[in-house]
Amino acid sequence: MSDFKVAQRESNSISVLELKGYLDAHTAPKLEEAFQGLLKSQRFNIVVNCKDLSYISSAGLGVFMAYIEDVRKNSGDIKLTNMSPKVFNVFDLLGFPLLYEIFKDEAEAVKKFFDKAT
Amino acid sequence: MRLRRFLYLGGASLIVLIVFTLDVIRKSVELEIGGLMVIRDVLVIGGFALVYLFFELSSADRDQSPVKKLGLALIASLIMIVIAVGAGLSHDQGFDTKDLSLLPLDYPTLFLACIISLSFGIFAVLIIRVLRDLVLYKRKRGSQRNFLIFIALMTAGSASTLMLKPLDSSIFTGIFFGLTILFGIVNSFRLSWIVYLTKREKIFSLIYGFFLFGGFLGLNILIQNSSISKSLLYYSYPLKHFIQSVTIFGNVYFGMAFVSTLFHLPTAEAFERKTSEVTSLHNLSKLVTQVFDFKQLVDTVTSMTLQVCEAKSCWLEIIYTGDDIQQDGVQGRHPVVLNPGAGRYYVQVAGMKNITQPEIDMLFPAAERTLRDAVLEERQPIVVDDIVHDSRFKRFRKDKAMSGSLVVVPLLSHSGVMGILYATKETAFGFFKDDVDVISAFADQATVAIENSRLISKSIERERLLREMMLAQEMQKRLLPQSLPKFPTLEIDAISTPAFEVGGDYYDFVQLDQGKLGIVVGDVSGKGVSAALYMSEVKGIFQALGKMYPSPKQFLVKANEALTGSIDKRSFVSLIYAVIDVRAGQLTISRAGHCPMLLVSKEKVGYIRPQGMGMGLSDGPIFSDAMEEERVQLHDGDVCVFYTDGVTEARCGEDEFGYDRLLRTAERCRGKPATAIKEEILETVKTFIEHKANHDDLTIVVVKWCGNSIPVE
Repeated sequence: MSDFKVAQRESNSISVLELKGYLDAHTAPKLEEAFQGLLKSQRFNIVVNCKDLSYISSAGLGVFMAYIEDVRKNSGDIKLTNMSPKVFNVFDLLGFPLLYEIFKDEAEAVKKFFDKAT
Repeated sequence: MRLRRFLYLGGASLIVLIVFTLDVIRKSVELEIGGLMVIRDVLVIGGFALVYLFFELSSADRDQSPVKKLGLALIASLIMIVIAVGAGLSHDQGFDTKDLSLLPLDYPTLFLACIISLSFGIFAVLIIRVLRDLVLYKRKRGSQRNFLIFIALMTAGSASTLMLKPLDSSIFTGIFFGLTILFGIVNSFRLSWIVYLTKREKIFSLIYGFFLFGGFLGLNILIQNSSISKSLLYYSYPLKHFIQSVTIFGNVYFGMAFVSTLFHLPTAEAFERKTSEVTSLHNLSKLVTQVFDFKQLVDTVTSMTLQVCEAKSCWLEIIYTGDDIQQDGVQGRHPVVLNPGAGRYYVQVAGMKNITQPEIDMLFPAAERTLRDAVLEERQPIVVDDIVHDSRFKRFRKDKAMSGSLVVVPLLSHSGVMGILYATKETAFGFFKDDVDVISAFADQATVAIENSRLISKSIERERLLREMMLAQEMQKRLLPQSLPKFPTLEIDAISTPAFEVGGDYYDFVQLDQGKLGIVVGDVSGKGVSAALYMSEVKGIFQALGKMYPSPKQFLVKANEALTGSIDKRSFVSLIYAVIDVRAGQLTISRAGHCPMLLVSKEKVGYIRPQGMGMGLSDGPIFSDAMEEERVQLHDGDVCVFYTDGVTEARCGEDEFGYDRLLRTAERCRGKPATAIKEEILETVKTFIEHKANHDDLTIVVVKWCGNSIPVE
């Protein structure tokens, strides 16, 4: 139940976090750690792939809120992709689509970063 | 008790008087009554038996120290010598010997014989009691038997003289006397009291033993002196036999005691130490269970180490590896020590004896790798036989301030080394294996005690927190509406249960102007105390702004402005706000990121979900632009259900209760009163999670419109 994993991938200048499992107050520190690591190594172009994310609680949503400000200050962004309808509903209920760019597909998000860069 | 003592003493005195009278008569008048002398002897024996019983009653001092008993015996024997010498000097008139009988030549002789016999008899009784106590000290099975045999032989010897004339002798008496002496020697090996004496007591015992041996030797010689011997024989042959047996036994016994003490003297110190080790450990283990005062405990451990090992100085350090510093209530500094092996740890001197912090720092500088690190890694006691010449203390070769030997013992618990006990001696090679053993034993006891006191303080702390939480729960319950608003057109019921003691769910009502009612349901992100604190803030904002902004959207925008400044960027609040015109049945709803309202109406069964954003996520235009407002016209029998995600996200394994189940449940019981609908939803959720504890706060507010039957004004 409390199984949650964060895998990190680098594609060009973009870091991709792949979330898997159940993101709640107990597992949120794992995601925090991943974000802290990225910020420390000055990587601000972040795509979070939620393909295997089965649940997200309010504490999980809070993690994104905690880092977005710093990331955007460094002219980067956190883009969310590949959400299941159920997870998207949680984001949507809280109005996250107005605060974050959410894509159906990871490639779209990556492309968006490049479009902006050029 | 007192009466019996009086009787014994009285009886004895009476017998003495009778015998004395008899003797005086005998002196002047020739008495030749058969058996009279035997009766007289029996009377004398009876008299001394009474004296024995009197002593037995008057002093219940069996537990007196053996040395004191020796002193008593010494005094008794000295008085006897003084009397004997005095008697020998002052009078030598003597007795007339006639037909194996003795007749005093004059009254003073008679009188003197009486005094000598009585005093010797009394002191002999005293001494046999002392000897009995010493022989039976820490008795074994055989010891009592042997002593009784000795007494029996002595009594038999005395009895065998009963029929004899004073200067007569018999073969039986001789045999009994010989056997008495033999068993006296056997009993003289019972000297176990010496072992348990302290060194000081042993020295005293040695001196006493020497004088006692000498005294009794003198007594034995003096008794052979014709004048005293004749006095005793004249007075009572059995008494003389008894006194002689006692003095010879005393002579042998005290001689043996002297020699034995002499041999025990060298081991006295070691024995004393072992005894004090056992006593200290016993005291310490008692202390462990009784004392929860950490400081006192450390103090006891260090002073006992000092005492038992005769160390020069001793100190106890507590090692902290985590953040649990100061939990033991020890005041002091915590030098940070960096240890490449075990990571960072802190050291705190919890107690020290005869040493100062600068001296400790000199021996174990915080910045260096020291013996302390070695002990932490090896978890074994380390002995430094010579600080000055030890390679681990190189810098002391020049500075002779610190010299001698040192023992470093770890306090081992299941979680690792929790402290270190140190002891130093002024001399090199001062610590032996048994010193290290006993210090280790102290360290073990200290470990248990420290763990105990930590556990206790933890449980006290937990209890305190629990009480605080109960208080918080009580207070939070009062933040929710204590009574539900009542309108003829509306049925309302609500419930809110936190997952833990306190939660972040919130619902409230506010009475607005123009017959309007504001209904709010909210959920603070996260759970527990932080959520509960934000929830009380939301309550404040709602009560303050609700009446000022009758439009739900307007209210939420203003509430967001108020909240954003004070909320952590990780946290947010979802809120749904509905305003019902209780006369017209018109509902205006706005949603700040909260779960959509479930509407079960004649026209539509579904969720009302105006666009919106959670409060605290963003301020200003982004939030207000995101907010929408929706209007719903209610009809008779329409049901509105407000709830938090504790309902829709209630879990059973991987399965969630979800929106569909909620919708179907509400639809199924739409005809029932609001209270029944609330109950049914709650019951369905509980059944779904199989009545296990809900992992999230849960709130349900049911509003049923039954207003169309009432005419609209």
